[in-house]
Amino acid sequence: MHKYIFRRILMLIPVMLGVSFVVFTIMFFTPGDPARIMLGERAPADEVALLRTQMGLDDPFLVRYVNFVVNAVRGDLGRSLVTRRSVAAELFSRFPATMQLAAAAVLVSVAMGIPIGIISATKQYSVFDGFSMALALVGVSMPNFWQGMMMILLFSIAIGILPSSGYGTFWHLIMPAVTIGTSSAAIITRMTRSSMLEVVRQDYIRTARAKGLSESVVINRHALKNALIPIVTVIGLQFGYLLGGAVLTETIFAWPGVGRFMVDAIRQKDFPVVQGGVLLLALTFSLVNLIVDIMYAYIDPRIKAQYK
Amino acid sequence: MRFAKSIAVALVLIIVAGTLFAAGAKEPQATKTQNRDTIVVAMGADARSLDPHETNDQPSARIMKQIYSTLMHQTEDLQIEKGLVTDYRVVSDTVYEFTLPSGVMFHNGETLTSRDVKFTFDRMREKNAPAGFLMAALDRVEVIDDLNFRMVLEFPFGPFLTHLAHTAMSIVNEKAVTAGGADYGRSPVGTGPFKFVEWRAGDSITLERFDDYYRGPAQASTIRFRFIPEDANRAIAIETGEADIVFDVGPNDFANLEALPSVITSQITGLTTFYMGFNAAKAPFDDIRVRRAINLALDVDGATEAAFLGFATPADGPLPPSVLYANQDLDGYGYDPAEARRLLAEAGYADGFTTSIWTNNNPVRVMYSEIFQEQLRQVGIEVSIEIMEFAPYLDRTALGEHDMFMLGWVTVTGDADYGLYSLFHSTQFGDAGNRTFWGNAEVDRLLDVGKTNPDPAQREQAYMRAQEIITEQAPWVFLANRDELNATRNYVEGFIPHAAGHHNLYRVYNR
Repeated sequence: MHKYIFRRILMLIPVMLGVSFVVFTIMFFTPGDPARIMLGERAPADEVALLRTQMGLDDPFLVRYVNFVVNAVRGDLGRSLVTRRSVAAELFSRFPATMQLAAAAVLVSVAMGIPIGIISATKQYSVFDGFSMALALVGVSMPNFWQGMMMILLFSIAIGILPSSGYGTFWHLIMPAVTIGTSSAAIITRMTRSSMLEVVRQDYIRTARAKGLSESVVINRHALKNALIPIVTVIGLQFGYLLGGAVLTETIFAWPGVGRFMVDAIRQKDFPVVQGGVLLLALTFSLVNLIVDIMYAYIDPRIKAQYK
Repeated sequence: MRFAKSIAVALVLIIVAGTLFAAGAKEPQATKTQNRDTIVVAMGADARSLDPHETNDQPSARIMKQIYSTLMHQTEDLQIEKGLVTDYRVVSDTVYEFTLPSGVMFHNGETLTSRDVKFTFDRMREKNAPAGFLMAALDRVEVIDDLNFRMVLEFPFGPFLTHLAHTAMSIVNEKAVTAGGADYGRSPVGTGPFKFVEWRAGDSITLERFDDYYRGPAQASTIRFRFIPEDANRAIAIETGEADIVFDVGPNDFANLEALPSVITSQITGLTTFYMGFNAAKAPFDDIRVRRAINLALDVDGATEAAFLGFATPADGPLPPSVLYANQDLDGYGYDPAEARRLLAEAGYADGFTTSIWTNNNPVRVMYSEIFQEQLRQVGIEVSIEIMEFAPYLDRTALGEHDMFMLGWVTVTGDADYGLYSLFHSTQFGDAGNRTFWGNAEVDRLLDVGKTNPDPAQREQAYMRAQEIITEQAPWVFLANRDELNATRNYVEGFIPHAAGHHNLYRVYNR
């Protein structure tokens, strides 16, 4: 198992190199001169040229790329062209907000999605099943920004119990987390239901029932555990996706996360922030995937056996 | 089923515990009740840096305005008066002497001296500050003694005192700058009415009253700037009382807020001019008759109403009326397609011609372009619209590849020099600002007089005449001056909006 984890961590190196190469190439060919952006539209051409040389912008593509990678490995992602602060400091000052929102949204979605999915599967074609599947369809289809605005109208303006935007307290977290959480919950509900339905038709479930086990033991101990693999995969993917920033939701609720920061950076042609941000998100996404894979082993001993 | 239930219960508990732990459980901040001592200001974007020598953007300037002081001060009606200095003498065209009051304190406890002034302007040059061009005329600062100093210019510069009032000329303290190092922009120290407390990136900046402020303590004890990017959400924040003041209300929200008894709205003419420029280096726009004909062929008032929903004033000349030395007597062109056709025929374009309007993807500019495309078709001119990204748009218009183009200009200093020189002087072709490539020897001379003469009467005379010629020669279609829209809760007192958007919150308090 340890060997497997170590191998997977090693595999992160080519993944990160690939991501860094792609993002660096895209930014390289994007129009806009970083030196000009830093000095402003009115700076004389000779000063811009001097800064270009100082920043190494006149070097060939490969030299610049290698420098970028070497510096990134040392933890130096450069300085933001806009705020002049270190990119790493800028990203890490926003990462907790993103992490908080992603974690809260996943908790909301798991708390809603798994129980509803299990009940739907065990009571297939019941009224509850039909109702919850319809609700899940609405949840998946409803755009986050619309749901966010409706929640603001209801809870901030009409009832006046929650702050409409901002960051810092538990109360600020509720609406953005529920907004994102419900759409993820819909996906998890559907996945839980279909996975459970598949499992409950297996022979070992019939055997368990034939042994005279109670229905709750059959479902919880035998069925759910075997149905969990695809569910955990979906939860992991959702979490990774949310770490990339739920940009629309962050914008609507003025949530100071990485996603919004990166969109602003793209708009302002803040190349180092875009590069550093993409690397950070690729890394966290890969780590989340790794954690999901490791969790497989604990959920299903057969997979653990394969790792040896 | 018991297992599923227990999972559900456990997860709910984890959610509550986890989020409370992560977010730090505090009091419910539902709709904020009026807090007498704290003013919450909502604006659209976070500051970039609070070091005046690192940035020249508006969100940063709005906060620096509260933290720092400048030698001269620009009032809300754009008049220049003494700021940090108690006295100044214009010794000659190129030499100014100033006296500082004694006992002015920086937020770090240091006392302001002439050496801080010298340090500020030396550092501005060394750091190649983005707003450094405003002090291009300054050669050096000479310290006479602790409270007296001399500013020597390389050449006479009319708007020098006005430029000293710009937020980017804020006076910094050497000790604080050295202590702050590379992150000084995150720990600013000034002599202003509020001192810096906390910056939560992307969320808010908090300032606290500086009790030793040299003009006496401010009214409010705390100011919290919140960054809410969406126009609609800023409007909601003031509607629910989560914010006391909102900067830059969206035109769509303004009417709704106006109808609320708990909110006071304010609409003033700003310093932003929108225009459509001609490339006068190219035929047919090198012909004044064509330029005038296009001005006459366009219903600018109607287009402005549509593009700004009524929140802009149609422009009759190159400067917004609030700018110092703006010529208020210009009549503009009006809408006269028949006269436009006659002029085009006279210029040899009776059958019209084919041309293009370039714009970036700014929705207001695109809307103007689309309306003008149709109106120009009525006089026989076929126009294609090219929409491009801002950076290549600026690069290519600077190279003169365009026919007609949509752009705007903010006269941030509130002085005619800033609003005219870069845009109409023939030494400023291309990147420097004059993308029309239109030049006129008399206008050059008048703009030089206005730039280099410190005498207000002579400056005024020069600028009045220059604007007449510019309007007559029509290198632009003069479109509109955008209004600045702000709002406060009805219990907020002392808020007077500034046309440049750098609102002074010294006198503001919640009743």
